[in-house]
Formats: sequence, structure tokens, C-alpha cells
Amino acid sequence: MKKNLLIIPSIIFTFVLLTFFYLLVIERNPSELPSNLLNKDIPIFEAENLIKNKKFISTNEFGNEIILVNFFATWCKPCRDEHSYIKQFNNNGIRVIGINYKDDPKKTIQWLEKLGNPYSDIPIDKHGRIAIDWGVYGIPETFLVNSKGIIKFRHVGPMSKKVFKKINLLIKEIK
Amino acid sequence: MVTLLGTLSLWLTLFFSISQFFSLKKNQSLKIIKICVIGLLIFSLISFFTLMYAYIVSDFSVLNVFQNSHSTKPLIYKISAVWGNHEGSMLLWILVLTIFNFFIFKFYNKENFIFISKTLETQAFITFGFILFTILTSNPFEETIKVHADGLGFNPILQDPALAIHPPLLYFGYVGFSAVFSMSIATLSLENNQKIAWYNYIKPFAVIAWTFLSIGIALGSLWAYYELGWGGWWFWDPVENASFMPWLLGTALLHSLIIVEKRKSLQTWALLLGILTFLLSMVGTFLVRSGILTSVHTFALDPSRGLYILLFIALIGTYSLILFASKSKRYFDNNYFAFFSKEGSILVNNILMAVVCSTVLLGTIYPLIVEAFTNNKISVGEPYYNSTVIPIIIPAILVMGIGPILGWKKEKKYEILKKILPSIFLTIIPTFFIFMIYQSLSFIGVIGILLSFWIISNNLMMLIQKNKKYHKGMIIAHLGVGLLILGITGSSVWQKENVSKMKIKDTVNIEKYNIVFDKIEESVGPNYVAIKGNFLVYDKERNIITKLKPENRFYHVENNFTTEASIHTNLLRDLYIVLGAGNINDGWIVRIYYNPLVIWIWIGAIIIFLGGITSANINLKKLKTFDQ
Repeated sequence: MKKNLLIIPSIIFTFVLLTFFYLLVIERNPSELPSNLLNKDIPIFEAENLIKNKKFISTNEFGNEIILVNFFATWCKPCRDEHSYIKQFNNNGIRVIGINYKDDPKKTIQWLEKLGNPYSDIPIDKHGRIAIDWGVYGIPETFLVNSKGIIKFRHVGPMSKKVFKKINLLIKEIK
Repeated sequence: MVTLLGTLSLWLTLFFSISQFFSLKKNQSLKIIKICVIGLLIFSLISFFTLMYAYIVSDFSVLNVFQNSHSTKPLIYKISAVWGNHEGSMLLWILVLTIFNFFIFKFYNKENFIFISKTLETQAFITFGFILFTILTSNPFEETIKVHADGLGFNPILQDPALAIHPPLLYFGYVGFSAVFSMSIATLSLENNQKIAWYNYIKPFAVIAWTFLSIGIALGSLWAYYELGWGGWWFWDPVENASFMPWLLGTALLHSLIIVEKRKSLQTWALLLGILTFLLSMVGTFLVRSGILTSVHTFALDPSRGLYILLFIALIGTYSLILFASKSKRYFDNNYFAFFSKEGSILVNNILMAVVCSTVLLGTIYPLIVEAFTNNKISVGEPYYNSTVIPIIIPAILVMGIGPILGWKKEKKYEILKKILPSIFLTIIPTFFIFMIYQSLSFIGVIGILLSFWIISNNLMMLIQKNKKYHKGMIIAHLGVGLLILGITGSSVWQKENVSKMKIKDTVNIEKYNIVFDKIEESVGPNYVAIKGNFLVYDKERNIITKLKPENRFYHVENNFTTEASIHTNLLRDLYIVLGAGNINDGWIVRIYYNPLVIWIWIGAIIIFLGGITSANINLKKLKTFDQ
């Protein structure tokens, strides 16, 4: 046997470690699922509007400005946790549309009165149809839509400081 | 008080591991080394039992207890919760490391002191690395700032007797290989004029580690079988693979050590296996604790932990493999192995085990590599493993039946035939009977059953002959493997599944059984409420065989549901019922499995364990007489 062969284990080992290292260092969440809708037009939908007296028609609303779409419900505890971030977006002048997922309208209004309402419109997704079209995995879930009505970013789960910063950077980029 | 005592003793273990390392490096007297080894053991015991005490008395001022326990939990699960979470399990890991450290020290004498010192030096370094990791990233003794009335509870699917002892057994396996690793390093770092029968020292530790790893894996598998309610016992989950890979290399190592001992061959290879087995155990730890992939086993996500473990693996891995590349040359040999000989068969075993291990490794990390290079997510599942692992392992099992009865060097083919004739006969008859019972032929089925009886009959013949030449532990362990294969084959080839929506008084047929959904009732456990289905099982003659009562439990503290499968077992088959979602008007979803021969998997595993213990005992005795 040649001596060179003895180095092979070290080489394979180094390669595997470097892969692990790379995956560990990059921004990556193993439970994050790539969205098929990324860089595609938003799914068209119509729904009752919780806070306005006219129907919410997506084709009239999207396509003029950057919009954050947030799927939420009052029964979902993480939604309450991320609410302060959602409000900050609104304070920064970003229009936020909240899709109220399988919820009780009365409770939702009380909830928003207590915590504050960052949403310009609240389409009601009583049976979860809209969520299915958007490929929602579990709420809360947030989408960033650019001024052409194209989805640029998707986040599954409650907002964190990191994600909040990331979305703000993205908004600056696509403006 | 608890947090103070625990933290203090944890820091003291760190101190003793450092002093053990440096006192060995500087060739201090035996007395000082002894103080370090014993101090390390005592303080890791104290820190471990301090945490256990906090769990038993439900001291919720400790963050770890608050997060993982609850006062209504039964005592056994309060205790097992100690290692049911990341921080606590690191304490157990450290404790086992120091126990092995202590036993290595026990072998210290005038003849071997250089070898043992070098081993303890590496062992101290590994222990130091793990203690530092625990203190820096996962201190179990952190205090909570707020006062809590009660804890957050413990994941209900982990509240189970098999899973209570699964981690300690597994850790004895993983950590046991650290002793093998340290000894391999010690062997490689000896000067050219220093000689020692290193394999005699490695062998008992390798056997012990392998034995505990085997039973630990089997228990985890048993738990998955009855608790997850999926009807199967092995899912090629990345973390299952992480334990399976060191097991495969450990198996190769045990066998190669026989050749090393008897023929002084394959020394380089055995040393490499000694290093790689532990490195793979560490990679397993990394995969589980870093959150780099998702699996039922992954702990809470924390990148800093992953980074630390990775750097530690890189450090000891690079050191050991470079040492191997530069120093292992002196252990080379150019011995010739005849194919039909004991060493030939062991070599085949080693090559095949290493190939299976690489295959599993590739399947486990391939998705990660693809993601790193292309950013695409893929998953590698059962079909890959079934189509790669099974064909490689079949010849290994074939050789396993015949290998032990072959002589060293070269054997005449006619002699071999004479030796195996009775077992060929013994193999065919029971195989025939099995197929009379199950009446369904499949290629894999025939091969599997033939192979298992091939192993069983060969080993029974050896047992009957009472030939001193055959190692008793080996025969028992091989017999266990034969039974294990019987169970694996039966349950994978002839499994039947029936999923249906059943209302009260509905009947379902599976194989030759009629199963009637009799009633549903509510019951209350210590920390859960449950609905319990009542199923009556009849055979064809309408005799009642058994009542099965699968449960759906709701744990209110954790806000979590679990399913408890109900299983009726006999030597030929399991009947396995899982109650799914449903209500009284629409009925419930009921999954019923007919799993042939499953019990032989568990019987096989226990016999393998007994064989391992026997062998460890023999090897330890051998080492002691050798030392005197």
C-alpha cells in the first residue's frame, strides 16, 4: 500500500466538515420551505372585508405599491407575539394587509382594539381558501409583495428581529 | 442552592480535566493523576445527581427544570427528563466519559504506563471539550429570574419506560468508543521502540461500547414501533442513521481486532476504524444538536452549539487523521489472506460493513451537500436505503454463517462442505415450514428467511459441539443476529395494513382475524386524559383471541396529543391497532397492522446484548490475566 492512501480519510473528513460549516454559517432554517410562488404574481382572490363595508378584490389593491401580507388569527399565540413587528411596518409607512384566517370576526375586532390595528384591510378567510391558494403552511405567515404584484419573500412562523431587519432591507432594495 | 452546587461542581470537573491533561503531559506522579481521575469522577457525579435532585423535588427556580418538567409528572419521568433535554443530556454524556476515564485508569500498571498515560491524556482532552461546551453553551444550572408555580412539562411522547433508559444505554455506546479512540491515538503516538499489545486493551472497550450501542438502538427502535404508531420500527431518520453508522464501523472494528490479535495483520485498518467510529459518533451528536437538519430527535435550535461541536470535531478529527496518515505506516504488513479462511471471511465482513456505512453516510449527508452547492432541498428516503443497503448486507450475512467455522490460514473446500452439510439441512427444513405458514413468496422474503436460518443453524451446531475453539460470546451474538434477521424479514415482507373509518360495532378483516370495534370509553391518567377504543379480536372459528385498547391521550400541561398503539404479540405475529381522529357520529379512523415475526427482532436484540456482555467479560478476564 502506498503512503498517499493514508491521507484519503483526512480529505473526505475535511470535505464533509466544510459542508457542515458552510451550512451552519449561512442564514438557513431547516424548517423553512421554499415557496413556489416566489417571484410570481399573487394568487387572485375576493373576500369580505372585516373593517370596510366593501368587498376586498385583490386585483384592485395590489400592483401599485409595496404591500406586506400577513396571515393571522386571534387564536394563534405566536401571532400575538409578532404583532408589535407588524405594527412597526405600518408605522414605517408600509401598507399591511392582514388576512384573517379561520377566525371569529367579533373576537378579531376586540383583539385589534386591544393590541392596535396595523392593517389597512382585513380580508376574511373564513374557510381557509385564500390560505390554500397562497400555499400557507401554518400561521402566522408573512409575504412581501412588490409594486408590480409579485411575491418577493415569504416567511413561515412568527416574525423575529432578524426577519424584521431582513424584510426592511428587502423593501429598501425593491423600492 | 442547587444552581450554586451544580455550577460549582461543573467548574470543578473542568478544573480536574485540565489538570489531568497537564499532569499527564508533564509526567507527574501517579498520585496526582489518581487525584485528577477520581476528582473528575466524583464532581461529575455530584453535578449529575444535583440536577436529578432538582428534577425530583421539582425545583422550578432552575430554568432547565422549569422548561422540561411539571409537578404532576410520575417520578420515573421526572428522573428521565434529566437526560430528555439537551443541557441535562450533556451532563450524562460527561458523566459517562468520566466513568470510562476511571476504568481506563484502573488498568494502569508498570508495564503499560506509557500507553495508558497517553490514552488518559486524549480522554482528558475530550472530556475537557465537552465540559467547556456545556458550561459555555448549555449550562443546565441556569436560574430563572421569575418565580414559577409549575413547570412547562415534558414532551409526552418521551414519557415512556423504553425511552427513559434509551439515552443512557446509547451514551455508553457512543462514549465507550471515545475510549477506543483515545487508545488508537495512544497507539499511534508511541515511539518506534515502544511496543504494546494495544488490541488487547481496545477490545474489551470496543465490545462494551458496541454492546450498549446495539441495545440502545434496539430500544429506540422498539419505542418508535409502539409509540409513534406508524406500524414500523425503522425509518432511516437521519438520527437513526447517526447511531447506525458508528454501529456498523464498530462491528467492523470488533471483527478486525480478531485478525489483529491472532495474525498481527490489519493493524492500520483497525486503528483507522477506532478513530472513525468515534468521529462518526461525534458527527451524530453534531447532526442532532446543531439543528442542521430536522428530525424527531433534534433539540432546540442554537447555531452557536453547532459551531462549537463542529470546531471541536474539526480539532480532534484533524489531529487524529493527520497522526494516522503520518504514523500508521509502522503497523503495515503484507500478509496474504486466503478467501476460504477465517481471516478471509472477516476481511469480507469488514469491507462490506465499511461500504454499508459509507452508503448510509452518503444518504444522510447528501441532501446537505446538495443544498450547500445548489440551494435546492431534496430528501433521501427509504427506497434509497432499501435498494443500496440490502444487496450489500446479504453477502455479509452469508459469510457470517460460515466464517466462524472456518480455520485460520487455508481450509480445504471438501472439509468446509463436510462442516456445513448439517446446517444446510437444518436451514432448509424450517424455511420450508415458514413458507407453509405465510404462503407468500417473494425474492427478498426467501433470501431473508434462508439467511436467518442459515445463521441460526450454524451457530446452534457450534453450540452443540461445545468446541473450545469457538468463542462463546460470538456464538450467542451471532445467534441473536440470525433471529433479528428473521424478524426484520418477516415484518417487512409480510406486513399487512388496513386503514378504515370504523363506527361502533363495525368489523374489519385482516389476515385470518375479525376485529370488532366494541365501544369507546374515557379514562384519566396521572397527567393526561384519554379516549380508549375497545376492539375484540376473533379468529376464523369465532373464538375470542384478545381485546385491544388503543388510546388517544391528551396532555393538558403540554397541550399535546399522543397515540398509544395497542399490540397483541405472539411468536408468529403482532396485531397492532392505532386509533386516529374521529367522533361518535362519523366514526374513527382506525389503522390495523398485521406484523409477522416482529417479536424476534427484540428477542434477537436481547440475545445480541447477552452475547456482547459475555464477550466483554471474556475479553476483560483475558486482559487481566495478560496484565499479570
